[in-house]
Amino acid sequence: MTLDRKTYYLGADLGSSFTKFVVVDDAGDMHFQRTIPTLSRNRELQSLTLAEIHERFPVAATCATGYGRQKFECDLRKTELICASAGVSHLHPVEKSIIDIGGEDIKIIESGPGGEVRHFYMNDKCSAGTGAFITEIAERAELEIGEMSELARASQSSRVINSFCTVFAKTEILGWKFDNVSIEDISRGIYLSIVKRIIKLPLRSDLPVFLCGGVIAFHPYLHDLLAGELRAEVQVVAHPQYAVALGAALLAHRSVGKSVAKN
Amino acid sequence: MPRLNAQTKLKSILRDYYENLEAPLAWCTSAGPAEILRALGFEVYFPENHGALLGASRTALKYIPRAHQAGYAGEICSYLTADIGAWLMQETPLTAAYGLPSIPRPDLIVFNTNQCREVAEWFNFFGDEFNCPVVGVFPPRHLEEVSRTDIDQVVAQFRKVIAAGEEVTGKTLDPERLKETLRLSLEGTTLWKKVLETARNVPSPLTFFDGTILMAPVVVLRGTQVCVDFYHEALAELEKLAARNAAAVPGEQVRLYWEGMPIWGRLRFMAELFAEQQACVVASTYCNSWVFDDFDPDDPLPSMAAAYTKIFINRGEMTKLEYLRRMVEEYRVDGVIFHDSKTCFNNTNSRFGLPRKLQEATGIETLSIDGDLNDLRFFSDGQTRTRLETFIEQLTMKSMSM
Repeated sequence: MTLDRKTYYLGADLGSSFTKFVVVDDAGDMHFQRTIPTLSRNRELQSLTLAEIHERFPVAATCATGYGRQKFECDLRKTELICASAGVSHLHPVEKSIIDIGGEDIKIIESGPGGEVRHFYMNDKCSAGTGAFITEIAERAELEIGEMSELARASQSSRVINSFCTVFAKTEILGWKFDNVSIEDISRGIYLSIVKRIIKLPLRSDLPVFLCGGVIAFHPYLHDLLAGELRAEVQVVAHPQYAVALGAALLAHRSVGKSVAKN
Repeated sequence: MPRLNAQTKLKSILRDYYENLEAPLAWCTSAGPAEILRALGFEVYFPENHGALLGASRTALKYIPRAHQAGYAGEICSYLTADIGAWLMQETPLTAAYGLPSIPRPDLIVFNTNQCREVAEWFNFFGDEFNCPVVGVFPPRHLEEVSRTDIDQVVAQFRKVIAAGEEVTGKTLDPERLKETLRLSLEGTTLWKKVLETARNVPSPLTFFDGTILMAPVVVLRGTQVCVDFYHEALAELEKLAARNAAAVPGEQVRLYWEGMPIWGRLRFMAELFAEQQACVVASTYCNSWVFDDFDPDDPLPSMAAAYTKIFINRGEMTKLEYLRRMVEEYRVDGVIFHDSKTCFNNTNSRFGLPRKLQEATGIETLSIDGDLNDLRFFSDGQTRTRLETFIEQLTMKSMSM
């Protein structure tokens, strides 16, 4: 049963780890948000979620983004960089840099007040510094992902993982364990290695930095470290893991009235 | 069904070429002194063309690991590793395509390191395998200006190629035949340049991806009448298309330039991806690498030395920047894509700040993508699609705001 006669727009961000759904209304206000695993064995979860959305909201247009966008039935497909820029700009309509740390990549976007992408940069074909990197290393270090930020805050260590390769980084962690390095120092070391990767990327120092993506949502200590390293104002956007899906929903809204090619 | 008649015609030309690779046969690098070899009476075979075939037929990854086993590292030229690996496994795509039992046996191998040092190792490997004489031309590298001294040095090395060829064939080089071969080369390469220049038309009747196919004769048949005749026909066809504003990419919205090697195993994927976005890659350094304006039949050896030493890949960063700036202007492109080809250090031009310098010089946007000419382990469809779609949208937004 639908809520009312208003029109809604669906954004689906099919990321490498999770799929995020966001529904907005004509004013761009968020009415629904949900995360499900992208490649769950339970394939029904996605269709059940979509059925629930369509039952609750009269969706006028859908935009898919993320690496799975080509496989998703929709009215519009946009890259996650375009959507991140649209989503963050809706919340912060200023000139800015966006750092989106995802499951398998890091994206830097220089974005205008209206969401236009001016420049962008993505890491090369390697998972170092991404969510997958943290998950792999944390597993070797026997760390609970949800506790890592608090543990890292208790450390003053400057020990850092040197290897860019996730496999070799795991070997480094093994060495740390043999040396009885504390779990606090290991946690901080993992974050420091990611920050080391990010700060070498091209970022303008005169623009505020907004962080989004699933990784920042679960690892708030990354914000603290980045704020200390970057010569710019750094803040995390509201609901950081939904910023890209929000952008997709907003772009779905904008596409209505334009001729939208079914991809 | 090929879009251009020239692409259909090309099939029979290449069949004739491969079926007639008879002794005396010389192997030569693609930007080497092939004219000298033809004038001496050799048929000429180009291992780089074979390397590209291994990539385009997506068999390279079957052979590259075999070359690794033989001691050739994963980070060196994947033309070399694919070609040597295929040889060690005694296979070639020429068998299925043209019925050749093997790559043709050389009587003389000639290379020119104007492109890279890898060709020396590659061609010397086959010299050992076939117990065949190998002659290398080692020009000065990475030049901003090409001086008379540089040219004299290369001419002296060309004379060694001539001497080796005369010894193999038992014949003396006929100066008139060299002059005629170079005249045909000049005519062929001039026509090829005009074919590429039809893409200056807006919309363009030609894409970079068409170019990577149509370029075959200027590489393997340069210096022959067949090459000249082919480009006469191709040019006439493309000029007709340009005259009626036929677009290679329907609805062309964005015009792009491709810098670096093609990704041979993903040409169709890339062509379709750009076409979906209504973006046309109108020009490239790669296809223009077989434009040799300096050829002069009345001054054969020095003009060949100049032409082959002045190729883009052999130039300094300032000269490369100026070349790209001119191409951006002439082809009215909106953005430049730099292919960072992981195993082709020498023909990857994004690693010393050139994209930034070009952006500053022209105001147009640039994008670097990771990949490789043959080794698709260095290429990601998903990441490439995301970067290219975002870049094209970025350029579209920029043009709308202007």
